[in-house]
Amino acid sequence: MSFFGLQENNLEEERQRIRSGASRETEDVAVYTWGEESYDGLGDALQEGGDDFNDETFGSSGSVGKDFDFAGQASLLEPELAHHKSANPVLSSPGQPRADATPRPVEQRPDNRRAPQSLESIWDDRSPFSVLPRENGGNRLQASTSQFSPFPESPVLHQPNAGQGGARTLQEIEAEMRAAAQQSRGVSQRQQNALRLQQEEEQFLQEQAYQQRQQRLAFQREREIERELQLQALQRLQQQQAMQAQHQRTPPPRMLPVSQSPRFVDQRQMLLLQQQEEHQLRMQQELQEQLRMEELERQLQLERQLRAQQISHINQGPLNHRRQTSGPTIAELQFQALQRQQLHRRQRSQSPAYQDFNVAPQNIQLQQRLLEELAQVDYLREFQGATQAEQEALRAEAMRKIVEAEKMEDKRRKKAAKIAHMSRYNDLMTQSDKDFITRIQVSQLVTPDPYADDFYAQVYGAILRSRMGLQSQDERVLKFGTGGGISLGNTQKAATRRPNAMQRMEQQVERIVSNARRREEEKGLHSLHSLQGALGKTSGRSYKAAPRQLLQVDDNPSTSPTLAHANAHISKEDATSQPNEGAAKEAAKLSRETLGNTGNVVRKDPLTHRQVLTALEAMYDLVLKVEHLRREQPPPEEEEASQQWQKEYDDLVELLWEGLKVMVPLETSNPHPFVSLLSPSKGKKLLPRLTRHIGSSRMLTLMTLLVACFTQLDVVKQAPLLDSLDESDERTEADRQTQAFLGSVLQSILPIVANLELHVVTALLGLLIDRSQDIAAVAKTKPGLALLTLFLSRVEVIKQGWGQGVEPVDLMAAGASLEQWQAVFDQFFVLLTPHLLALFPSSRIVLQDPHAPSAALAIDIMDQPVWQFLAALALQAVPEQHQVLVTSLRDKVLENVLSANKGWVADEDERRTKLANVNLFLHALGLDSSQIAL
Amino acid sequence: MLIFSVFKTLTDQQVTVELKNDLSITGVLKSVDQFLNIRLDSIKVLDEARHPHMMAVKNCFIRGSVVRYVQLPSEHVDTQLLEDATRRGSSPRSHPFIG
Repeated sequence: MSFFGLQENNLEEERQRIRSGASRETEDVAVYTWGEESYDGLGDALQEGGDDFNDETFGSSGSVGKDFDFAGQASLLEPELAHHKSANPVLSSPGQPRADATPRPVEQRPDNRRAPQSLESIWDDRSPFSVLPRENGGNRLQASTSQFSPFPESPVLHQPNAGQGGARTLQEIEAEMRAAAQQSRGVSQRQQNALRLQQEEEQFLQEQAYQQRQQRLAFQREREIERELQLQALQRLQQQQAMQAQHQRTPPPRMLPVSQSPRFVDQRQMLLLQQQEEHQLRMQQELQEQLRMEELERQLQLERQLRAQQISHINQGPLNHRRQTSGPTIAELQFQALQRQQLHRRQRSQSPAYQDFNVAPQNIQLQQRLLEELAQVDYLREFQGATQAEQEALRAEAMRKIVEAEKMEDKRRKKAAKIAHMSRYNDLMTQSDKDFITRIQVSQLVTPDPYADDFYAQVYGAILRSRMGLQSQDERVLKFGTGGGISLGNTQKAATRRPNAMQRMEQQVERIVSNARRREEEKGLHSLHSLQGALGKTSGRSYKAAPRQLLQVDDNPSTSPTLAHANAHISKEDATSQPNEGAAKEAAKLSRETLGNTGNVVRKDPLTHRQVLTALEAMYDLVLKVEHLRREQPPPEEEEASQQWQKEYDDLVELLWEGLKVMVPLETSNPHPFVSLLSPSKGKKLLPRLTRHIGSSRMLTLMTLLVACFTQLDVVKQAPLLDSLDESDERTEADRQTQAFLGSVLQSILPIVANLELHVVTALLGLLIDRSQDIAAVAKTKPGLALLTLFLSRVEVIKQGWGQGVEPVDLMAAGASLEQWQAVFDQFFVLLTPHLLALFPSSRIVLQDPHAPSAALAIDIMDQPVWQFLAALALQAVPEQHQVLVTSLRDKVLENVLSANKGWVADEDERRTKLANVNLFLHALGLDSSQIAL
Repeated sequence: MLIFSVFKTLTDQQVTVELKNDLSITGVLKSVDQFLNIRLDSIKVLDEARHPHMMAVKNCFIRGSVVRYVQLPSEHVDTQLLEDATRRGSSPRSHPFIG
């Protein structure tokens, strides 16, 4: 039974009464049973009046052995105790104002005779940390009447270990029991009463100590809350202060449970965190924090001691009860009393609380405590500031800071939660796992031959670099870095940011690549397939596996018979003829063949478009192989490798040459197979890529064939289509082909022409005149005009070279060549003269009346090559021929100059173009457009 | 591998990716991998009125399998080289000199 309702003076009185043995008879039995079993409803069924069934419950005293007869006393004592209880209402009906606040174990009841103390009460742990059910106490406490508590005024003991009272060892108990058994018979009522009183007193003392401890605990919690509030919610200080004033009399009932609730602990932890975060934490706060922690510790210690005490009470409780019920002898009781007194003495010496209690210095201590409390309140008042305004300001400031801190805390928590969420899977893979994956990925991507698998990016990068004037500064990267799709190709960009990481990456990749290469060599060519799809498929079918054939293209174009025939037909001598001597001979031979020497030539149908395309694809494959081989040319030091390489290269070039079908007899078909190959634009584009592999002698042969078959060319045949400004598919296609021819084919023979001897040029011009039925028609085409201009320019260059004496000239041979040339040129000039005006696209194109202003300019631009050609022609022409030229072109020149000078032009561009065109020609004659008098 | 190789050279160029759900996204090609997954930056959807939810999206990662077409900037594609690469890709390992 707790004694929280007990007033100090009452206690004192009670003590006095107990000592004097005055109030024994007033004990109330009915209240006494208010107790332990009430929670399971057994209390209602309890027979308050007597102990009729005690024997049933505990066994009859007679049948029980002497050793265990410690319950006998109680039955004897019972009526006395009942009286005692009723006389002490404070004892029996405890009013607990803080019943809901401070946990009080049930076992604190001093008189447990009737109610057998269940062992459960041991576990009735009231600490806030307990997980045990506590409805026992809780229910009872709630049921208890709420009563004003004078406790803050009651003495508060500072000794935390004040209540060691109840602890008894087993030996002590046993000794007690034996003594009781011996002396139980002769016990007198008085002795019994004395024992009772002794026990009562002991309980009182313990209760008192416990109460004081509770008091102290409560006070500490109070203080804690105060500090909490100071730190956490200064805005509540006003109310808090008001409450404090009350607290001097009564502790706030609601405060204490808060201090014990887990939420409170959380808040405290939160606050701790906040304070850690907040840099503006003041020293004072730190100190307080420290203090509080210390206090917390102390509190915990106290609580632990409290629990120990509870347990001791429990031990003691049933013991007393049984002893009393079994009815001990007087001797027993006397012995017991002696022992108890000894125990008390021991306890008192141990615990100063008893001394305090006895000497009653607790009043002094209480005063000290109160003073302390008051000082704290004063401090709080000071802290708040003297005036209301200051308080308000302080509060606002505090609010702001709190809100700020809360925000920061919130943010930090969110961030932490995010990080925690993201880092859930951290370190699931070890470094070796990652390396393994990387190796697989890289081994899939890296190939020993990046040019094969990553051809486009490699070559494009190389072209881009060469275009930008950058030397391939990092060959290593080019070799296999970019090969993997590990985009090391962009090292320049990435390196600026994380050079070290990139370097490390490169090193790793290098290592991986070299490993992959070694494995590749070990396993053979197809080892790449081993890991194919290890990390997922790139597509339904691999790029390396043979794709399903979608186009039914004949793999073996029927070129070989023609080739064989060509080889048979054209002599070895021709194929290997030197450019200087052989070219003219060849031209003559080709000319001869044109004359109808077709006796042993097997005429064939021209190649079909499909055949051309497949032949071209085969050629492209060869070109690519050759180009690849060129890139892998071994250094000249390795003779064996060089020889091997040279052999391979020569073989491939030979294949290329045969594939071009240049040696196929002229009359085999019309168009000639070679011309057929040139008809698609990709055929035209192929030629420049061949020229550097094919020797110049072969190129000359090729050019001779080209000149001989010039009229067969699609670009010449389609040229009339260009004499129109109407947009049509045919014209667009013709224009495209013409541009391709000029850009590819003529560009590729340009270096050949630039090295031609005069007599070869003469022969070629003659061949062209012979082979084309209408040289004027050829001259009317762009390619033809360009070719003729090339020839004429070359002759002019040769002549200039001779004139300047740059190179030693065999005058006889030169004279003969010149004579030859002049003859051919004269013939050419005569053939061309009637068509001079028609050479101009501007003459051929008939403009519809309403035409775009830009059309005129376009035509002028188209005229430009013609003026160029005429200038070249004029340079070669003799004075009589000049006359002819001027006469023929007089109208055209005048028209241009007039329209330019008279402003019959759309804009300045057109005017300038016209003049420039005219001047091109006039300068060749030694004139200028400004000399022309209008 | 060829397309991958080509796309690699187009990084930092403007491309238009047409998806199989008829979404056309124009953006700067940031990266592409062997699955032809595409990462685009500063994107713009062709028909923004129809796809208002894409207006706020500034960059995206496109899974390769959902791409229908990629419109390449012609000035950054070497067609002839592309043809050659196609030729190489079709018969790279059949010849002893390659691989």
